[in-house]
Amino acid sequence: MSRPFLYLDAAATTAIDPRVANVIAECLAAPPGNPAATHAAGRAARARVERARAEVAALIGADDPQSIVFTSGATESDNLAVLGTARAAAERGRHVVVPRTEHRAVLDACARLEREGWRVTYVRPDRDGLVAPDAIAAALRPDTTLVSVMLVNNEIGVVQDVAAIGAICRERGIVFHVDAAQAAGRVPIDVEAIGADLLSLSAHKIHGPMGVGALFVRRYPRPALVPLQFGGGQEGGLRSGTVPVHQVAGMGEAFRLARELLADEASRLAALRERLWSALQVLDGVHLNGHAGLRAPHVLNVSFDGVDGESLLLALEDVAVASGAACSSATREPSYVLRALGRDDALAQASLRFGVDRFTTAAEVDDAAARVVAAVRRLRAIAPASAESAP
Amino acid sequence: VTDATPSAPSRSLRPASPAGDTPGGVEPPPADRADEYSPDVRRLFAEAPGAGAPADAAGWLRGEAREPLTATHVRWYLRTANGRIAEARYEVRGCPHTVAAAALAAERLRGRPVDSPQLEIATIVATLGVPSAKLGRLFVIEDAVRAAVRQAGAGTA
Repeated sequence: MSRPFLYLDAAATTAIDPRVANVIAECLAAPPGNPAATHAAGRAARARVERARAEVAALIGADDPQSIVFTSGATESDNLAVLGTARAAAERGRHVVVPRTEHRAVLDACARLEREGWRVTYVRPDRDGLVAPDAIAAALRPDTTLVSVMLVNNEIGVVQDVAAIGAICRERGIVFHVDAAQAAGRVPIDVEAIGADLLSLSAHKIHGPMGVGALFVRRYPRPALVPLQFGGGQEGGLRSGTVPVHQVAGMGEAFRLARELLADEASRLAALRERLWSALQVLDGVHLNGHAGLRAPHVLNVSFDGVDGESLLLALEDVAVASGAACSSATREPSYVLRALGRDDALAQASLRFGVDRFTTAAEVDDAAARVVAAVRRLRAIAPASAESAP
Repeated sequence: VTDATPSAPSRSLRPASPAGDTPGGVEPPPADRADEYSPDVRRLFAEAPGAGAPADAAGWLRGEAREPLTATHVRWYLRTANGRIAEARYEVRGCPHTVAAAALAAERLRGRPVDSPQLEIATIVATLGVPSAKLGRLFVIEDAVRAAVRQAGAGTA
């Protein structure tokens, strides 16, 4: 008898909230209207977009909704922030500072800059995955124009001290970008307290639609930013292209719900995460990746001694979790984030990232934990010098 | 905006693909991952026939080999009778293809002459449809058999 499929990969994406789906459906059923148009239908569409803009701004403590630029998602937002800022400031300096554990949307943009002649300093985190503000300060140079740090790491869930880093950047007149794709709706965000000039957001991480995100661009002082795409000059000229009203409205509703539910949801998710971690600790040789306290409530990353990560994933095919390795069919490179924390390749590869969300139940967590424990015990039982030999 | 009661989406609405946010690479959806493994690999991985050390390994030939890059580790236990391999058991830590290949190798080793078992991992790889890039790590299965057989030559069996 097949077991029910369990979804515990909320850091990758989340199910759309039915209330968000309703808002999107309303938009799709409404008369057509381009928000850039001046007629009544256009104004109606524009009103939906502006309501969503206000909701997004409200979740991150931005006073001015016009500081929100809608994009296709956090990857585009990260790209626009990194490439756009660096290129705009090219005359002033060509040096960028980022932690090694940033999302690929930032790291790959930095790699692009390096090919264009910029220098990038990749700051190493400590063994808990935290980036010391002092380490960022030490990496700064007279020609540094941008620092980019993610608020919540997408793989291990640790929360960085972005407020301290933001203060350092502000003091030096350096643009500070924060990737908050995993943070929105999970931890409180206040762009003023953080001192962020730019902040990337995603809708589908918090029960909104895929294909839409946003970049907060501080209005005063406004960082110089070169757009990546050109055309109709929408979104203040920073992101040309017709604004997808239904997706943006869905994002607005997702952010409204996130703001409304944040406190309760964060504590509920943290309880689920701890329930899962407790259940996994019946095994010997399990290691929590990332700081035990400074973490977002929805992510748990664990490494298992004595098992192969790919075999563990196959044994858990009916549980949606992310692995600590790239899943190409032939090679499985261990996670660069876990390696940056000092995990050896074998342990980095034998890691799982669990993510819980609004719709995850305690029963699902218990079921998933039981399946993981059984799979690890079984693989250890057939392995030489297994860490735990009896099922 | 409606005031619909929040409830979990149906199973069919739950996200099916974890793509896009797995650092170090993009994780394919389950359907793609499933395609990596042939039915034989799946069966042998799930059942792992012959896996585990014998209850009493006294008198069995024993040999092992490792591939450090992927932490693949295989250990063989061979029981011999009349110059032939009467039973082959194994312990394995490795990817599903490695587990399946060790299981298939255990079946094929039975009855072969202990001084020349002629286990060719390439034929097992072909039978199971193992990706060519994994061939290197699967050689540990062959290397571990050789290590066990060398014990016989050294008179330690």
